[in-house]
Amino acid sequence: MKRRDFLGVVGAPLALGLGSPALRRLGALAWPWEASAAWLLVPMDDSQTDHLKAYGVTYRVLERGAKAEWFLNYRGGAFLLPGDAATTRDAALAGVACEPISDGQVTSIKAELGQGNMDAIPLEKPPKVAVYAPPNASPWDDAVTMVLDYAGIKFEKIWDPEVISKGLVKFDWLHLHHEDFTGQYSKFYLNYAGAPWLADMVARNQAVARQLGFPNVPADKRAVAQEIRAFVNRGGFLFAMCTATETLDLALASEHVDIAASYADGSPMDPDAARKMDWSQALAFQNAQLELSPNIPAFSDIDGHQVNSLDRRQPLGAFKLFNFSATIDPVATMLVQNHRDVIPDFYGLTTSFTRRTLKPSVTILADEPGAAWAKYIHGELGQGTWTFYGGHDPEDPQHQIGDPPTDLSLHPHSPGYRLILNNVLFPAAKKRELKT
Amino acid sequence: MIGRTRPVAALLWAALLGGPALLRAQDPMSRAFDLERRGSYAQAAELYRGILKDKPAEVTALLGLERALTPINRLSEILPAVQAAIAADPSASPVYAVGLRAYAAANLLDSLPRLVDLWARAAPGDETPFREWAAAALQRRDRSMARRAYQLGRERLGKTDALAAEIAQLAISEQDWITAVREWARAVRQLPGYRSSAIATLGPAPERSRPDILKALEKEEGTEPGRITVELRARWGDPLGALDALLKTLPPQPAQQLDALQGFLEQLRVESTPPYLLAQGRTLEEIADRWVGAPQRSRLRLESARAYAAAGDRPAARRMLTRIAGDSEGGPAVQAGATATLIDLLVREGKADEASTQLERYRTVLPVEDYLRLRRAVAARWGQSGEIGRAEALLAADSSVEAFALRGRFRLYAGDLKGASEMWATAGPFAGTREEATERSGLLALIQPIGPDTLLSFGAALRLFDGGDTLEAAKAFELVGRGLPADAGRSEVTLYAGRLYAMAGQSADAERVFRLVVSKDAPAASAAALLELGRLLLALDRREDATHALERMILDYPTSALVPQGRRLLDQARNVVPRT
Repeated sequence: MKRRDFLGVVGAPLALGLGSPALRRLGALAWPWEASAAWLLVPMDDSQTDHLKAYGVTYRVLERGAKAEWFLNYRGGAFLLPGDAATTRDAALAGVACEPISDGQVTSIKAELGQGNMDAIPLEKPPKVAVYAPPNASPWDDAVTMVLDYAGIKFEKIWDPEVISKGLVKFDWLHLHHEDFTGQYSKFYLNYAGAPWLADMVARNQAVARQLGFPNVPADKRAVAQEIRAFVNRGGFLFAMCTATETLDLALASEHVDIAASYADGSPMDPDAARKMDWSQALAFQNAQLELSPNIPAFSDIDGHQVNSLDRRQPLGAFKLFNFSATIDPVATMLVQNHRDVIPDFYGLTTSFTRRTLKPSVTILADEPGAAWAKYIHGELGQGTWTFYGGHDPEDPQHQIGDPPTDLSLHPHSPGYRLILNNVLFPAAKKRELKT
Repeated sequence: MIGRTRPVAALLWAALLGGPALLRAQDPMSRAFDLERRGSYAQAAELYRGILKDKPAEVTALLGLERALTPINRLSEILPAVQAAIAADPSASPVYAVGLRAYAAANLLDSLPRLVDLWARAAPGDETPFREWAAAALQRRDRSMARRAYQLGRERLGKTDALAAEIAQLAISEQDWITAVREWARAVRQLPGYRSSAIATLGPAPERSRPDILKALEKEEGTEPGRITVELRARWGDPLGALDALLKTLPPQPAQQLDALQGFLEQLRVESTPPYLLAQGRTLEEIADRWVGAPQRSRLRLESARAYAAAGDRPAARRMLTRIAGDSEGGPAVQAGATATLIDLLVREGKADEASTQLERYRTVLPVEDYLRLRRAVAARWGQSGEIGRAEALLAADSSVEAFALRGRFRLYAGDLKGASEMWATAGPFAGTREEATERSGLLALIQPIGPDTLLSFGAALRLFDGGDTLEAAKAFELVGRGLPADAGRSEVTLYAGRLYAMAGQSADAERVFRLVVSKDAPAASAAALLELGRLLLALDRREDATHALERMILDYPTSALVPQGRRLLDQARNVVPRT
């Protein structure tokens, strides 16, 4: 579902005024296959046995053509699913805790939603998910593909040829991870010279740039960035993590200036590049200072933590999710649904976003209180939206190249990973008109 | 009390009032150092600067200025002082080192080669300028600059082994193992003390690179690369190859040979798998052959015999024991140990009668604990071969928990399920090793649902298994299961048979038997059988079939305690979590 459809319709009728007592707990947790019921309530508070797979169960309900509802701010952002056999089976296999409830109980819950900062958002159509990654990318090196696999949400991998040939029109949701859209191979070129994985990355990128008719890799990546911007503008949902956030905007803002080191495009970076950037083209950032040294694997002062710059590196803290009005700001509320509101921070090549470089229109979804940076931001462009989440892997805070993969079955309650899955499901929501 | 407090207070006031005065009275260097200790870095830096103004080549002040400017991120301000210091005393090495760090911090990388050049001229033949340059580059994670520094250093110094250890470590960080081997070989030939660093850095090499590393080491000349080969082979699971390599590179002096062999032995003792035990036996034998004193030599041979016996090399163990017997100076303790080892060996060879005779013959020379342990071993062998009455009679006077555990097993061999349960209840959970206790619990759970108190075929099947014939045991247990009523142990015993088939590598039979177990009448065994089936199919890479079995297990037996294990296997079958 595109965002234009998403904004169109009034949904989620609230049954108000029934005056039933709050149903925080519907008795002891029951496994759904033990009883048949009209509905299954999937609690997302601490009683949930696998928060991450709960999103997959909900997604597959939509895939089967059934409807679901997202109870924002109710029991950690619970889901209401049909109590049919397929859903019951799926939840049982996934180990997702569900509570069988009747129509009457649903009515009571909805009555309760109307009495606080809560809301019920209908979920209708599963978004078609694309992940931008080179063909040889390891599935274990991208938090989003890992969690999509773990939750059982289908996705397609696309790369430069598909993007340049307008392949994004097929998709509703696009994820970017640690790609470097400035075309400088994450600026590892000099420091990891000789490493086989880097040689492979360089060769692959140069080959695809040639194949697509671009003079060099930075030109290819800039064209890809512009296609991604157009995708959002048309109504797509973009979710980016790690260095894809920062470099996407740098690529977009540098259309008329050389910001790539000579090893990438044959000419050195323009020393006056920062002044010549056109930030009107960027999604989230403005007025950033660029890192001039090709030796330092950092791009600009957009990142607050500068993990690879020894003298500028900042220690990890924790970030806090903002509390939004569920009825006035349902999009932001959906994106921050969680059973924890303070989450330990984690590094990435881009870990956070300095407030100074954020455009005024940007919505901060989470930040580190008292620090000069935000962690999780959101905004709109044309008919679509984008969300940027700093860092590489929420359960591997010090992630290093070559680290063993994260096993998500050991982190089924990961609040950091939940934020990713909020983004996957939110395009499925049917949205009522904004009240303000 | 008051009277005593006043002088203290007066002293404190004097200190507070007089402190700054004292500080003022100190020489500038001490004052700067004091300020630095208090964290007043900017003020300390000013003082150091003042000193350097008068004495530009004062290295202590220059180092102080570097220390003071670094925490306040102003290190680049030191550059004029560095330039002045070099002009004043171009031969002072520490000044160049500070300069390198300062130029690197100020991002003036182009200036580093010139500074290094000056330093190298001031200290001809010294590796330090190039090492420091590379260190500054590596601090910035700039490996290519570090490589340039080392290469230039080697060229300028005109020595092919200059900076070899540093180049080796750089190569390791880039996973260039062959270069690392070549450079470590150069480094250890120059200074053998580098060997431990070489082993520590080459040791974690991925398995696929190890043959190339060993080949490259073989090409290197000298004994030192050979010693690296020995330790790497031992670390990488080839202890016998390591021993062969060690014997080829042993130094000529006997004392040094013993040192090398004993060091190697210590390395082998971290593992207790058969190859490592065999290598231990051989190494101990080599040490014993070189040992001069007879008592210690016999003790070493005894230890060697034990290691050989534990590794399963009985001829070698016997050879050692024969040599101990021929060594009249071994002493009574060694003779007793040799006797115990010999009896142990006889039991392992299945010669329980001969072992029993020897045991009684040497009863007086053996320590009591050894005697009792060996007697239980003899009894266990008799029991396993079907001489249950004789085995039980041998242990009749033994009231240890280990003996009760063994008697329980004899009862089971005899098909007396009830008697076995009672004996094991008396033995409790601490008899024998933890693995033995766990195995007894598993057998108790297996016999619990079986209806009759006596089942001769069960005992016979277990004796087959204990005798090492897993496949025949699996067949026998399958037959036992078939003969039991559905609600009285059939599923449990058949499941056990399936596990034995899987253990014996008979996947098709294991799969057939696991599927046979699944029935609504035996939910616990069915859940376990489906889990085992899923595990088996996953190991055979039949993911779809494994998924089906595991899904069935989770959905049909949701209350089974095995469901979490089933879900984890299901995730692995679907490839959504890494295999562990």
